[in-house]
Amino acid sequence: MVFLTLSCWIRSRGPDRYWKVQDVLKHARHFRGRKNRCYSLAVRAVRRAFVYATTGRRLKKRNMRTLWITRIAAASREHGMKYPALMHNLTKTSVQLNRRVICDLAVTEPRSFLSLAKLARARQQEGFRAALGDGKEPAGVFSRVVLLQ
Amino acid sequence: MSSFSRSAQQWATFARSWFLIDARQQPPGRLATMCSVRLQGKHKPIYHALSDCGDHVVLINTKHIAFSGNKWEQKVYSSHTQYPGGFKQVTAAQLHHKDPKAIVKLAVYGMLPRNLQRRTMMQRLHIFADDELPDDIRANLTEELQQPRKIPRKLSEYTQEEMDAFPRLWTPHEDYKMK
Repeated sequence: MVFLTLSCWIRSRGPDRYWKVQDVLKHARHFRGRKNRCYSLAVRAVRRAFVYATTGRRLKKRNMRTLWITRIAAASREHGMKYPALMHNLTKTSVQLNRRVICDLAVTEPRSFLSLAKLARARQQEGFRAALGDGKEPAGVFSRVVLLQ
Repeated sequence: MSSFSRSAQQWATFARSWFLIDARQQPPGRLATMCSVRLQGKHKPIYHALSDCGDHVVLINTKHIAFSGNKWEQKVYSSHTQYPGGFKQVTAAQLHHKDPKAIVKLAVYGMLPRNLQRRTMMQRLHIFADDELPDDIRANLTEELQQPRKIPRKLSEYTQEEMDAFPRLWTPHEDYKMK
């Protein structure tokens, strides 16, 4: 019986330093210039890249939230509402959707988003009426005043 | 993102629309806000900075833009030619007299993000000093946007009945001599 695999392993084991270098270069193969093949340059660049990656993990959350807000703002302007007014009135109506989900709705389900915008608009009008002392109910909304009766 | 794909429904999602804005009697800053939002694509829910989803904007009648206050005399556009003593300063009125498109163009350029897409977005802005458009641009137009400012009526546009019915602060005495 011939053990081919074992002999392959034996042949492929180089000196330990080779594997140490490979461990670093593994992360630097897509870098630009000599950084992707020279160990002494790569090791510094890889360390820097890992530092950037650490900060990037925090920044990603921030940037994603900014993007969702930009998109929701664009979608709400299509329905004649401003972003702050939309979010404020959705909070007031106890809609507990976060910005990621609202953004998904705005992109993939425009009609669901339209109904959210209508809800916020109705709440806004209700607030205006209350501020003006009119006291009438908005049309087509099952509101809390009806529930109390 | 949502778990299912709607790629079959997205054929025309990245199509570019062409917006027309009439700049007659409009403040350049507010025009530039409208333009920069649409050039970047920030009016679409699919916006992403890298997806190049901006639209075209056609601005007409930029000869007739309106600055408020005394900006025509006081607003200064500075530039430097990079030669010694090459610091140039012109007022808004002088610049507008030289090139009626320049003020709006500079305002939009300043409102776009400072990145490599800026020049590309500027190429999608078509400015015309008066209301005559070439046919190839006119054929592309999809929508006219509402002007940001309601144009106030001139005294000459009021009829005599409206002028008589206009509320007066005081009624002059019969002897009063109008200057």
